Amino acid sequence: MAERGINRRPEHLAAVPDSGAPPPADAGDLLRAVARGDEKAFGKLYDLVAPRVYGLIRRVLRDPAQAEEVAQEVLVEVWRSAARFDPERGSATSWVFTIAHRRAVDRVRSEQAATERTIRAGAASVDTPYDAVADEVSGRLERQQVRRCLDDLTELQREAVTLAYYQGHSYPRVAELLGTPLPTVKTRMRDGLIRLRDCMGTGVSA
Amino acid sequence: MTTEIHTLVGAYVLDAVDDLERASFERHLRECDSCRAEADELRETTARLAHDTWSVPPPSMRENVMAAIAETRQLPPAGPAAPAPTVRGSSRRWRVIAAAAAVVAAVGTGSAVWVVQDQRVQDQRAIAEAARAEEARVRAILAAPDVVLNEQNVMNGGRVTVATSRLHNAGVVMLAASAAPAGRVYQLWTIRPGGAPVSASVLHEGQEADVLVLDGLPGATDVGLTIEPPAGSRTPTLPMVADVKLV
Repeated sequence: MAERGINRRPEHLAAVPDSGAPPPADAGDLLRAVARGDEKAFGKLYDLVAPRVYGLIRRVLRDPAQAEEVAQEVLVEVWRSAARFDPERGSATSWVFTIAHRRAVDRVRSEQAATERTIRAGAASVDTPYDAVADEVSGRLERQQVRRCLDDLTELQREAVTLAYYQGHSYPRVAELLGTPLPTVKTRMRDGLIRLRDCMGTGVSA
Repeated sequence: MTTEIHTLVGAYVLDAVDDLERASFERHLRECDSCRAEADELRETTARLAHDTWSVPPPSMRENVMAAIAETRQLPPAGPAAPAPTVRGSSRRWRVIAAAAAVVAAVGTGSAVWVVQDQRVQDQRAIAEAARAEEARVRAILAAPDVVLNEQNVMNGGRVTVATSRLHNAGVVMLAASAAPAGRVYQLWTIRPGGAPVSASVLHEGQEADVLVLDGLPGATDVGLTIEPPAGSRTPTLPMVADVKLV
């Protein structure tokens, strides 16, 4: 337990840096400050994570208005429970995205249950517009890494992981969509993520 | 058993499991350090997938969030600061809380599934023992030959499941919801024919899951869930966010 720790690079503020600007903030440091009630630190953390929180939720929900509502709830939840973040168990950004993903999935499932709404087909609704102004080298590299690592998976691993993560499907639903037995889907999700972990270097540090 | 449930680790970190599976998996994680290490790593990996989802939020979102946090009280760190649950002496109703114990069976298949509460376990032996006694009762009710299951989604996420048994003249209410809005708590109610709703349980702030045994539940028509101010209310604040029909 004492040796455990997630190997990660510092997470830098994605805002456009002015020359002579203060050094980029680390999400973990910001979150610790937020836990002490520091609203300014929260503002910085917001700038760092909000585009991904909103983007992720939007991708799962496919509805910008609902995504905005859920993203707001998530970010307020980050403020509210910042003191519960446990750095032993992962990075600050991962903690935030975990809350965001869970909330998006809950919403999409309760919606599906309530109305069995038809999923709007068409890539356009899935595309997440990306504002070039906010682009930033490390962000771009991270995205490239995600895509490269996803490309490294087998077709079934990739489908299993992305249908669950980006579309919020349960694994029985994923099995149905892929016409694959349940145990196989569970296994592909797990070994797909293990392969991604090795590719992204998110393993335990020695 | 351990290896069997652990195959869910990928689905678990992808949030591709249902509430019961999540609860049982989390119980498994508490008992297995290396499994928890793997789950943490895969969770970290999974969160990286969010990097590929940039989308610039509307500027008004920042203003709304900043305004909201200025009025939102922060939770204390997890652990001792959580208000200790009160165990009431009533034999009619036990609350199974902190002991992380509780429930249940996929009824009819005979396979037991554990629902585990997220509340941190406090070192209150009395509660733990009450919970153990309660756990046996919960299992007995769920295993009753005449058990009837009803469930309803909670409006803002999650589910309320109610198992009733006439043989035991009792029922088990299991709540696993998404967080209540900031500064609000969940309150459960029972509604009987011709009577006003009666409070069955007021959850504490931040509590999203609960398991209750309610005596006489088979006579009720509904189990309702509302969102209330922290101490709960005497009458339900409408609308109910879940209303489980028992008849």
